[in-house]
Amino acid sequence: MSTNRHDAVSALLGEYALGQLSTQERRDVEEHVRDCSECASELRELTAVMHGLARAPESVVPPLHLKQRVLGTLAHEPGAHAPRIAHRSVFASRTWLAVAASLIVVLGSALFLTVQRQRQTTDEFRRAQNELSELRARLDDFSGQTDLALSILTAGDMKRIELAGSDAWRASSARAYWSPSRGLLLVADQLPVPPPGRIYQVWVIGGTTPVSAGLLGSQRPGRGMLVAPPPSALAPGTVTVAVTDEPPGGLPAPSGSIRLAGSL
Amino acid sequence: MSRLAAGDMEAAAELYDRYAGQILALARRILRNDGDAEDVVQEVFSQVWRNARSFESHRGSVGAWLLVIARTRSIDRLRARQARPDNVAEAYPESIADRSVPVPDQLLSEEQAARIRQALVALPDAQRTALELAYYEGLTQSEIAQRLTEPLGTVKTRIRTALMTLRQRLRS
Repeated sequence: MSTNRHDAVSALLGEYALGQLSTQERRDVEEHVRDCSECASELRELTAVMHGLARAPESVVPPLHLKQRVLGTLAHEPGAHAPRIAHRSVFASRTWLAVAASLIVVLGSALFLTVQRQRQTTDEFRRAQNELSELRARLDDFSGQTDLALSILTAGDMKRIELAGSDAWRASSARAYWSPSRGLLLVADQLPVPPPGRIYQVWVIGGTTPVSAGLLGSQRPGRGMLVAPPPSALAPGTVTVAVTDEPPGGLPAPSGSIRLAGSL
Repeated sequence: MSRLAAGDMEAAAELYDRYAGQILALARRILRNDGDAEDVVQEVFSQVWRNARSFESHRGSVGAWLLVIARTRSIDRLRARQARPDNVAEAYPESIADRSVPVPDQLLSEEQAARIRQALVALPDAQRTALELAYYEGLTQSEIAQRLTEPLGTVKTRIRTALMTLRQRLRS
């Protein structure tokens, strides 16, 4: 190892760390560094400096929709699944599309996807951006719930339950994502307006005892959503999720008719 | 990382929570555009997801690796936007970025990162500008010399000096 070579490479270490060298130059540097502890040590320091430069811009709080977007995209990738799969893996099949779709629809992020797909005219884009800011403001109300919703969807013990109704609720579509460890996410579409002076309440029934999971929130007429931690004191047995209409504020035990229900 | 390689979505969520903010900040700094920066965050996590298996723990800290990828992706995108040809033979395709870019063993502590941040601001303007063009715009020494209409030798010296200063700040 000549001193010439050492000096030559040593002078290039900064450029190497900065990624400014060509492939061949990189190879030359790497070959020399393998045998030269002095250069190896300097390169370690320079690498740490590079990392410091990466950290110089102060960390920010990412916008909510970004997490959904990232995790949603990963879930489409081959191999994606929730840990410790109990029975069937929701994520291994195309049902994830339905999961993501209903969550996205209810949270109003469909607009976001559209914005990402087509950045056409500036006007369209600007209009979409305005709607997006409006949505984000509404989403902020749900902010605590978005994280819980995502954690429910990614839980290993999560099961999907389709709910169905009759009469005026026959056309409603509702899906519950139930994780005994994380909680309940329920999304409903095409819900009729509840009878006058009534609101929708969600129940989780273990065996035969109903426990309230909370009141169904609605952002738009016809749409309902609930995100809640697992209700306490749930009796063991087959889980049924049901929606009834109740007086405003709800009740500790169901009094109204069951409008939607589904079981595991 | 092994959980990620096994396809564990929960591990992905944890990784996101821990590092997305930093990745987004770096991408925004490089691209000066929120939308593009968010695209980069997406790309970084997709790449990590796909390559989790090939990331061996001896290569260094995961967080540091994520930032390396973030910088690479951001600069690629910046080049595309500026319609700037890649003078460094080729852009880093995923497999090369995995193998050839050095990754530190450990993340810098908050305190160390703050020291670098301050040291960067405290550099003489000429040195800081040259270094920032190299790091945050991915320009080669020649490109920097052209951009600043300075001799190449001057640019090299400025960057070398700046790097030496920053190295010393980390040591103390």
